[in-house]
Amino acid sequence: MSFIPGIGLVRGMSLTLRRFFQPKATIRWPEEKADVAPKFRGRLQLLYDEYGTLKCETCFQCAQACPIECIDMGGIDTKGRFHVHWGPPETYGERREESALRRSGRPVADPMYEHYESVDLVALDGILEAHDFDPKDMLAILEETQAAYGYLPVAALKHISRITGAWYATIYGTATYYRHLRLEPPAADTAAPAGEAQRGIEAGYRSALDAALGHVSGCPS
Amino acid sequence: MSIFLETPRDWPLVLTGRAGALAADPFDLDAAVAAGAFDALRRVVRDLGATGTIATIAVSGLRGRGGAGMPTGEKWRAAASHDTGQRYVVANGYDADPGVHASAALLGADPWTVIEGLAIAAFATGATEAILALRADDPALVAMLEGAVLAAEEAGFLGDDVLGSGHRVIVSVRPVQGAYMLGEETVLLRALEGRRGQPEQQPPYTTERGLWDRPTVVNNVQTLATVPWIIREGAERFTAIGDGTGAGTILVQLRGPEGGGIAEVPMGTPLRALVDLAGGSGRRPLKALLVGGPTGGILPADLLDTPYAFDALRAAGAHIGSGSVVIADDRACVVDLARLLTRFAADQACGKTIPCRIGLRRLSEIGDRIAEGRPRPADPDLIADLAHDIVASALCDHERLAVLPLTSGLRYFRSEIDDHLLRSTCPAGVCTTITVAAGATTPGPL
Ligand SMILES: Cc1cc2nc3c(=O)[nH]c(=O)nc-3n(C[C@H](O)[C@H](O)[C@H](O)COP(=O)(O)O)c2cc1C
Ligand code: SF4
Ligand code: FES
Repeated sequence: MSFIPGIGLVRGMSLTLRRFFQPKATIRWPEEKADVAPKFRGRLQLLYDEYGTLKCETCFQCAQACPIECIDMGGIDTKGRFHVHWGPPETYGERREESALRRSGRPVADPMYEHYESVDLVALDGILEAHDFDPKDMLAILEETQAAYGYLPVAALKHISRITGAWYATIYGTATYYRHLRLEPPAADTAAPAGEAQRGIEAGYRSALDAALGHVSGCPS
Repeated sequence: MSIFLETPRDWPLVLTGRAGALAADPFDLDAAVAAGAFDALRRVVRDLGATGTIATIAVSGLRGRGGAGMPTGEKWRAAASHDTGQRYVVANGYDADPGVHASAALLGADPWTVIEGLAIAAFATGATEAILALRADDPALVAMLEGAVLAAEEAGFLGDDVLGSGHRVIVSVRPVQGAYMLGEETVLLRALEGRRGQPEQQPPYTTERGLWDRPTVVNNVQTLATVPWIIREGAERFTAIGDGTGAGTILVQLRGPEGGGIAEVPMGTPLRALVDLAGGSGRRPLKALLVGGPTGGILPADLLDTPYAFDALRAAGAHIGSGSVVIADDRACVVDLARLLTRFAADQACGKTIPCRIGLRRLSEIGDRIAEGRPRPADPDLIADLAHDIVASALCDHERLAVLPLTSGLRYFRSEIDDHLLRSTCPAGVCTTITVAAGATTPGPL
């Protein structure tokens, strides 16, 4: 068969011809819209801003959401306060060169863990015990920890994670979301109650609205 | 002396009717029982049963007062239909809108009707645990409510054996704080679970997978407070209140140049009547109404005959939302007002999704540059396009509604926006930077 001249060409062209008359697979976006899964919100990609710094804020939300726990990260938290990390130390970039050493079995100094101060954990242990070490009470545990220490020390968050078994990423996500929780000790001279953070925003909204409307501020709300 | 505004004598009072009788001490259980509290719960437990109760609520046409107007009967039926060991009922008393205190006012004036409604909802849906979630801002109110629940438990209205029926309803009071988004139902449930407060994709609705992944009914405290009245007085009497598009009454938080306050009004009351309740717009002419709180719509004065009802307001480009109605006279600039609201909505968005984190931010930036005199000619189209994309891709109602101030502004006040865009003037004289940017005399760049 193979010595019939031109047979390869005919075979090739016949495929081309067949494809030519088949319906097209291309979707003419944006005129036509494909059905996407209802949870689709766009593709995930790490981007850089105009100054060339990574836009990722190390907020851990992707690591927390990832169902197969494949996302690991380490870095400085949003406000440059302390190093945080999530996932086994071997797997994140800046420490990769260490992991060979680590696997050799010799003790490795862990610089990441030295970036936050240790705290006296006695009070925290009492709080955890009162809540039966139950991560379901996380918000109450965090609120009471803040009441005991004045803020939420990273060492305390790590300890809560270790004792309750809740992911550090989840706890960190909770602690950074609520405006009445704070991860820094309050400056001594401006020690307003932590709940003021949100209440101040709300009062600001009310007075901005009054100002925009020309109403006298302090009208009954 | 009531904390609620006086309304015309012939307007029925469903929510606050008992507040007068309880005025001496709203937390006195005996006085409340003498005034009829827990009669409805008794009827539900003795006569109606779970399905009968749900049917009565469905027939009454009660729609959720939390803003979206979900039919309450359907919600309960959906939660009751799932076969599971545990269900929850959550009363949403958060009052997300900083300018609205209706839930706290109701809880402070007649806590018993909310507690009774919560117990009825739990009984009807088969939930043994009910949670009353409210703002932590007022520790005194939280403590009083905890005491009220305890008292009701001791009197046998709640607890392991509700009115001797063998049904168990445990009510707990849970103060929450720290974010605007806590008012949204899925966010509230995440907060009760001690997690980051970000909304969840719906469906699956909370009635299928809510608190701890169990079927959960989340109802506004007003919705629940209405339930005992419907059981006592009958669904027909309830349906008769209002203009047909929504039965019953609702609390509105009014705010205007002449004062304001909280008033209980029948659904479908024309906006004009609400303005009158707030004392009108004073000496200056009324220019616009902001209906629905920070994510509300800005409606012009010629829409004053619009009924205050879920569907009519949605069609007009506003919504019931937080139940707030704000009166703006001619001192207000629509661009300035809309950008203020959009900025607040963008600041309070949770950041979970791109429309919420970036879409709202860009929208508020467009508002800012129009108000500050550096608009781009295509900005109105850009607002419309961006708003459309945000609504189409939004995860939660917050983004979907947060476009309303700017889109309703474009819809009703186009000429005022064009003055900013094309002539660099602010007719109300609010946006002062605009003339500086335009260079006082020369017309603005196009
Ligand atoms: C941004 C946002 C804020 C909300 N705030 C509240 C609130 O403060 N109180 C409330 O009852 N519902 C609020 N809701 C509505 C709730 O998500 C939910 O629809 C409601 O509690 C259901 O109760 P209902 O069926 O009785 O209306 C809010 C929704 C959104 C999107
Ligand atoms: S950590 Fe936060 S900011 Fe960084 S990629 Fe994940 S979700 Fe995005
Ligand atoms: S506010 Fe973030 S998803 Fe709706």
